[in-house]
Amino acid sequence: MIWQLDLLILTLIILCAFAAIKLKDMLSAVIIFGAYSFLLCLIWVEMGAVDVGFTEAAVGAGVSTVLFIAAVYRTTRTIAPPGPGRNFLKIIGFLSSVALGVVLLFAVGDFPDWANPNSPASLHVSPYYILNTIKDTSVPNIVTSVLADYRGFDTMFETTVIFAAGIAVIAILRRKIHKTDNNNSQAVETGQTETGTNIIIQTICRQMVPFMQLFALYVIAHGHHSPGGGFQGGVILGASFILLALSYDLQKMLKRMSEKWNIILANIGVLIYVGIGTLCVFLGANFLDYSILHKILPATSPIEARSHGMLGIEIGVGIAVMAIMITIYTNIASEGKHDKGL
Amino acid sequence: MIEIFSIILMLTGFFFFCVTTIGILRFPDFYSRMHAAGKGDTFSSIFMLLGLVLINMQHLSIGTLLVSMKIVFILVFIFLASPTATNAIIDAGFESGVMPWTKEEKVENKEV
Repeated sequence: MIWQLDLLILTLIILCAFAAIKLKDMLSAVIIFGAYSFLLCLIWVEMGAVDVGFTEAAVGAGVSTVLFIAAVYRTTRTIAPPGPGRNFLKIIGFLSSVALGVVLLFAVGDFPDWANPNSPASLHVSPYYILNTIKDTSVPNIVTSVLADYRGFDTMFETTVIFAAGIAVIAILRRKIHKTDNNNSQAVETGQTETGTNIIIQTICRQMVPFMQLFALYVIAHGHHSPGGGFQGGVILGASFILLALSYDLQKMLKRMSEKWNIILANIGVLIYVGIGTLCVFLGANFLDYSILHKILPATSPIEARSHGMLGIEIGVGIAVMAIMITIYTNIASEGKHDKGL
Repeated sequence: MIEIFSIILMLTGFFFFCVTTIGILRFPDFYSRMHAAGKGDTFSSIFMLLGLVLINMQHLSIGTLLVSMKIVFILVFIFLASPTATNAIIDAGFESGVMPWTKEEKVENKEV
């Protein structure tokens, strides 16, 4: 904890936030927003929340920037100048946000001091997690055990939310093109790729993809012992495919990971999570109570079974997140036509 | 002894970071700015990370050795990714028709 450094980063974050709102050019605003996410990630790491920082770096600064750029590229780059009727709405918006800000500022006085041991947040469940995680689950990384075991329901529905987001993107954007249009678009695509190729970028990206995927698998499988887990690993796995689509074109990526397989994998990922929970019910325990799994896993005690159950659901989350990230990217970058990317 | 080495490495990295920043601010056009950013950034990151590797190995054990190896992996990654990203940006600038700065052009501008 160095408070001078915190103050500096916090000032930069606020500057970035204002710049991102004020800029008229959407592409610059997206880049500023990426910088904002990255600074926020630094703050999280400074405060000791390494898992949150990792997620912010992978999702906020990494994939969501690419998704925003794809959306800006496919829509318009500049904001339309405000019409005459907009001022009234602007004043209402300004007044309501100022009122909300004042109310929130009043609430700040009731907050406990930072790291106060007597605050409600650190009196009830937090000490239990800190003291008993190793005893209960034999998982050294407390964050993973809270996320995947103690609060497994929460994480299950977070995964479902991501799944629903992917389905919504498909439902809104996806459209089939007719056979006759298909030939035309393919001709356009080959013309595009010839001007857009760059052998340096393609070679380096192609060499980098397997290492990224290896690192993602490490993050998923090692989430019990070090920062990381299903969400981060899944996002990095998805990013490796998006990198392939960006450096070559969309077709090359879709050959390796077709739309059909993406949807199937997203379903499989969520099903693994819910399936492990239901398996626990069938074996005679509560939903998502992994300790009962020691009956079917050979040579494990109930405590180790909880650790293995967590690994199982992390794999499910990783598969689902990866497939959904690729689906969202392909649909936004090609306006749902899946013919050519950016 | 290791401390002194790592401090020297980090100061070298810091110097090149400063040079990079001055280059980005002072160079006249897009291409020369990207040249400063790409080269200086990669070079200074390498020195900074080497300094971190050394200072991390002060108390040699399996744990610190592992962390140092991870930093070296990051170093290799930056060495590959940063110049490639610079190349991609310059390529995009060239394709969208950004003209490089030349002396003659500057003279013409002055006359106008």
